[in-house]
Amino acid sequence: MKADLAPRVPSIGLEHVTRTFGAGTAEAVRALRGIDLTLPPGTFVSVEGPSGCGKTTLLNLLGLLDTPSHGTVRWDGTPVGVRTDRERSRLRLERVGFIFQRFYLLPTLTTEENVELPMRALRVPRPERRRRAADLLAEVGLSERARAYPHQLSGGEEQRVAIARALANLPGLLLADEPTGELDSANARSVLDLLVRVRADRDASLVLVTHNPEVAARARRHLVLRDGSVVSDRTEA
Amino acid sequence: MTRRRASRELRHTRWQAVLAVVAMASAVTLPVVLVSVGGGVAAHEISSLEDTGYQLVVSAAGLHGIEHAHADAAKLLGLADVREAAPILSVPVDVFNASGNVSPVLAEGVVPSQFVPTLGPTESALFPLPLPLGDPNDTVRFANGTYAGPPTYDVLLSSTYARAYHVHVGASVVLSPTANVSSGLRYNVTGLFGTPLSLVQPHGAYAALLLLSNLQVLTGYAAGPGTAVPDGADTIEVVVAPSAAESPSALAAVARDVQAVFPSYSVTTLSSEAAQLQSADDVLTGFYLALSSVGMSIGLLFLALVLVRRVERERRSIAIRRAIGVPSGAVAAAILENGAVLAAGGGLGGVVAGYVVVRGLATWGTSTVQEAAQLAQFSPAFLAELVAAVVALSAFAGLVAVRAAWRVDLLEALR
Repeated sequence: MKADLAPRVPSIGLEHVTRTFGAGTAEAVRALRGIDLTLPPGTFVSVEGPSGCGKTTLLNLLGLLDTPSHGTVRWDGTPVGVRTDRERSRLRLERVGFIFQRFYLLPTLTTEENVELPMRALRVPRPERRRRAADLLAEVGLSERARAYPHQLSGGEEQRVAIARALANLPGLLLADEPTGELDSANARSVLDLLVRVRADRDASLVLVTHNPEVAARARRHLVLRDGSVVSDRTEA
Repeated sequence: MTRRRASRELRHTRWQAVLAVVAMASAVTLPVVLVSVGGGVAAHEISSLEDTGYQLVVSAAGLHGIEHAHADAAKLLGLADVREAAPILSVPVDVFNASGNVSPVLAEGVVPSQFVPTLGPTESALFPLPLPLGDPNDTVRFANGTYAGPPTYDVLLSSTYARAYHVHVGASVVLSPTANVSSGLRYNVTGLFGTPLSLVQPHGAYAALLLLSNLQVLTGYAAGPGTAVPDGADTIEVVVAPSAAESPSALAAVARDVQAVFPSYSVTTLSSEAAQLQSADDVLTGFYLALSSVGMSIGLLFLALVLVRRVERERRSIAIRRAIGVPSGAVAAAILENGAVLAAGGGLGGVVAGYVVVRGLATWGTSTVQEAAQLAQFSPAFLAELVAAVVALSAFAGLVAVRAAWRVDLLEALR
């Protein structure tokens, strides 16, 4: 399985990346300032820093949700800036799994439909989709809640569904933005354990944005941002 | 988003969908009713025309436009392929019955022996045959332009009139060319005849049938026996040989022959009248559809508003889909599909509602509306095209919503 996944895990590089919101206006905000960063395949990195330091912006750039104002983001050595919006969508669909702080499940879909959503977009055949969704829900311990709607789930359950959805298309890059931010400590620990386990099982890269030092401690590499710049980049032995 | 709010939004979304379907259904109901009833009435009139029996009509303007009706009919019978010819004089008169009621009635003067053979199977079944008018050939009292009299004073009345005024066979009525009863003559009701189903009831179906010469005398203000009367008619109905009747070109050739004999009269074929009626029906159908397009536009506008509102409510859902990597085209397709499903639901609902409305009018409508509704024809092809058109047009409403979806700022919506 790991051999199959290996080519799907991207090597990512950021060169002098700057991101300015509202450029040219009085309210212009420089969220990132000249970031240089390399994320080899299989990296497990935490991104820490105070609110507004650019953590989510960095995550959005890594996951191709956003493009830099200046500088270059490379995936497997290729600048993603030259790719069309459609191509970037395709890369996200096939190779990136997003996990948001507020879960962001679609309220009109059931648990299993939410998990199937990325597979539907990738035109995975229905039986395969069903089977894979059932496996993922079993993996996150929610087989019994397959027909439930998001508003019928607890916060911890919603985040587990979100993780299952993020894993649906066997992505090589998992991007988690404060995944335990809305959970109590027991649920937070459980969700974090799950994230760490699924990453290890798949040998995927995981970028974990968090305020919480305990959560960050689970990563092997630790980035600290302040005012849009990387002030610390430490890898544990 | 709280759980209660999420649940409420789900219900709200469903209500919006129901409202959109109802709006589209209302828009579709109108053309279903108008075109089905209008088309049915036209088809019925055309069918009646084709079932009339005679195939050519010679007519002239004015009360006695055809000045020598008896002689002209005889001339026509001399032409090849002409089998029957019946002069007819149609004059509105007032009928005064024994109860003192007066009603306008369309009186038709005919020569019974010539009139009956020109009738089609449907019409001939409406009359008592032979016509009980006392003079089958209308020759006793009319000869060489001089009225020999006295009149037979026999008249047939339409059963519609007889029912409305409780007039029976054996009663007597006064027919008068003016509103003054003293200008009229008293006639004996010797029979009743039915009228084909028509949309001009009740007054248009009040009719009387009497001898041509008697009606000529009546319209000549009852000059009396021994006086000259105009041998006038306004129409001569002509039956042609079956071989000519079945071929439009042969019928046209006969019409040309007739026209050559009577260059100053108008000669028309029923097939051309049917074509004109069909053409008028086509124009009316176009008008109905144009009228319906107003309602349809409002329905589509409502659908567009519902879809745009949905996009606004689901900005975050759209952003989530796009963040996951669902292509913009797929998001657009989902919106268009959503619009098409709502439009199809509305279209089918409108067809059903239109059918129910027409059936309701056919059962409980006022007399003329009821008759028209009873003639309604529901063409599956038209109804399918209507629903298909609504679904196709829903794409415009969907595109408005798609544009709104594409303008959703992904990062802002996910914040």
